[in-house]
Amino acid sequence: MIRVKSPQDLGAGILFFLLGLAGIYFGRELTYGSSMRMGPGYFPFWLSAIILFMGLVIGLRGLMFDGPAIEMPQVRPMVMVILSILSFGLFVIPLGTPLAIIVLVFIAAYARPDVNILETAILAVCSAVFAVLAFIYGLGQPLPLWGDF
Amino acid sequence: MDIIGNLTTGFVAALSWDNVLFCLIGCFLGTLIGVLPGIGPIPAIAMLLPITFGLDPLSSLIMLAGIYYGAAYGGSTTSILVNMPGEASAIVTCIDGHQMAKQGRAGPALAIAALGSFFAGTIATIFVAGFGPILSAFAQQFNSPDYFSLMVLGLVTAVILAHGSVLKAVTIILVGLLLGLVGTDVNSGTTRYTFGISDIWDGIDFLPVVIGMFGVTEIIKNLEAKQYLRDPIKAKLSTMWPTKKDFRDSAMPILRGTALGSILGILPGGGAVLSSFAAYTVEKKVAKDPSRFGKGAIEGVAGPESANNAASQTSFIPLLTLGLPSNAVMALMMGAMMIQGIQPGSAVMTSRPDLFWGMVASMWIGNAMLVVLNLPLLPMWVRLLSVPYRLLYPAILMFCVIGVYANNNNATQMVIVAVFTLFGYILMRVGAEPAPMILGFILGPLMEENLRRSLVLSRGDPMIFFNRPISATLLFLTFCVVLLIVLPSFRKTREVAFQEE
Repeated sequence: MIRVKSPQDLGAGILFFLLGLAGIYFGRELTYGSSMRMGPGYFPFWLSAIILFMGLVIGLRGLMFDGPAIEMPQVRPMVMVILSILSFGLFVIPLGTPLAIIVLVFIAAYARPDVNILETAILAVCSAVFAVLAFIYGLGQPLPLWGDF
Repeated sequence: MDIIGNLTTGFVAALSWDNVLFCLIGCFLGTLIGVLPGIGPIPAIAMLLPITFGLDPLSSLIMLAGIYYGAAYGGSTTSILVNMPGEASAIVTCIDGHQMAKQGRAGPALAIAALGSFFAGTIATIFVAGFGPILSAFAQQFNSPDYFSLMVLGLVTAVILAHGSVLKAVTIILVGLLLGLVGTDVNSGTTRYTFGISDIWDGIDFLPVVIGMFGVTEIIKNLEAKQYLRDPIKAKLSTMWPTKKDFRDSAMPILRGTALGSILGILPGGGAVLSSFAAYTVEKKVAKDPSRFGKGAIEGVAGPESANNAASQTSFIPLLTLGLPSNAVMALMMGAMMIQGIQPGSAVMTSRPDLFWGMVASMWIGNAMLVVLNLPLLPMWVRLLSVPYRLLYPAILMFCVIGVYANNNNATQMVIVAVFTLFGYILMRVGAEPAPMILGFILGPLMEENLRRSLVLSRGDPMIFFNRPISATLLFLTFCVVLLIVLPSFRKTREVAFQEE
């Protein structure tokens, strides 16, 4: 049984190894060409190969030398923040910018415990008004004001 | 040499009421975003970039200069007051700046930082005006192999400046290079790693990557740490103006920082970060009583802040003469110039002198605006910091999505933000610093193209990189940098330097 001495290094090693592997695998149909006439697959292949090799080295070092542990990720902040961003992409066309921002602020607020609904509602409306005044009217940014109702 | 004539051309082109107004707005918005905790200058500039697109080239560059200075200074304000460095070059300022803030001397620290930066910016502007044309002439001798070697040097230098493991930094740069290749290969027209998604046929946009990895990941990190949610950030500003003694103490550090920064800024890969570290080390070395450092020595703020500002100014030289961005901020500037239809490189100076010199002048105007606008408004910015984080982060997220969406009206961009948020988060968890990736991401296609051309020139013989004198010199320098990284004594210094977080 091998003991993992540095989980962070092992983790980084595995991540890089997989990235390198993916680079080679998904680039397998690109023409490699030759040194004299590099094809579209030449540079990506070598980059991926080195990334894969470095991943191996970093991972093996993680088995050999002591290092910090990986902190447990927390599900809630991560999921809610990412959802709030995706929601904006999803709603900005059908609902328009101000409403999409209100949705974003509400979802984002739930990235932490003890949400005060009233406070969040005020923040959401203020953010939406600010965005409309500053970005759409003030700076003339190409954002839809109303959606396709 | 006609420095004055050139600068006059620039100022005449740049100084109109409209332009000054754009610069003012840029500076204001830049500070507003830059001062938000956890938003460094890079995501702040990236977010505000789209608002400059509608203007004519010169106005847009001037507004950008305002944003740039505003964001950088907003970042230092936050670093000094709450010890949250938004980017690597601010880490050094935090060491003594935050100690000064704790002693109730945040005002003098920030005033000296602004005045030192302004002085450094002025000198560096003259430096750019004087050396730009000379280096531009030199740059015309650069050929593909030289460009390739210069990029290798830049990327290797970026490794030193990354936190943590050197091996991880090297690998993350390579990952950046690989990600930079996503999209259509210019030579063959083949699409690479696009997985049939038409929105990334032109490559992955820079903006969502930066916003995701540096803006959003930072929010998640702060939310996990929870302490920002519990206690509001306490920042107060009692005295604003530095004392006579402060001025006396910081005069020499500002001069030394300016000189150091102006020279180091030209080097590829380094720029602001390298010079602020170097300036801090120098100040500590020449101080009569080095033990004061780390306990609120004003020299430790004056030197590095002047140095990094001088360096950010002179790092325009490689961009404007060689067309090579030497750090992530310059990469953003290059992106903005290209959107305006200006291809950075030595041709700009001859074909559009008004733009070139206007750009140089606009950096100075942006810097001046900062002193005029930010010092009086400082109490207001400080009050912004006392807004609880639970109210700030949804607003920061809003700025993030609006910036990305205004740049490219396309919902797929939000998915890219999400993917890179996740990627940045994983990197953070496994102890890999993401910043060097950005430089790789920008240089990926340039590097491939120059490698390809070099090998065509030499018929596939890699010795071409060693046979050309410029390229060989650059590779020799790269070798020296690698030696430095490997050398045990330097490794120790580097580890000590990055301990302050």
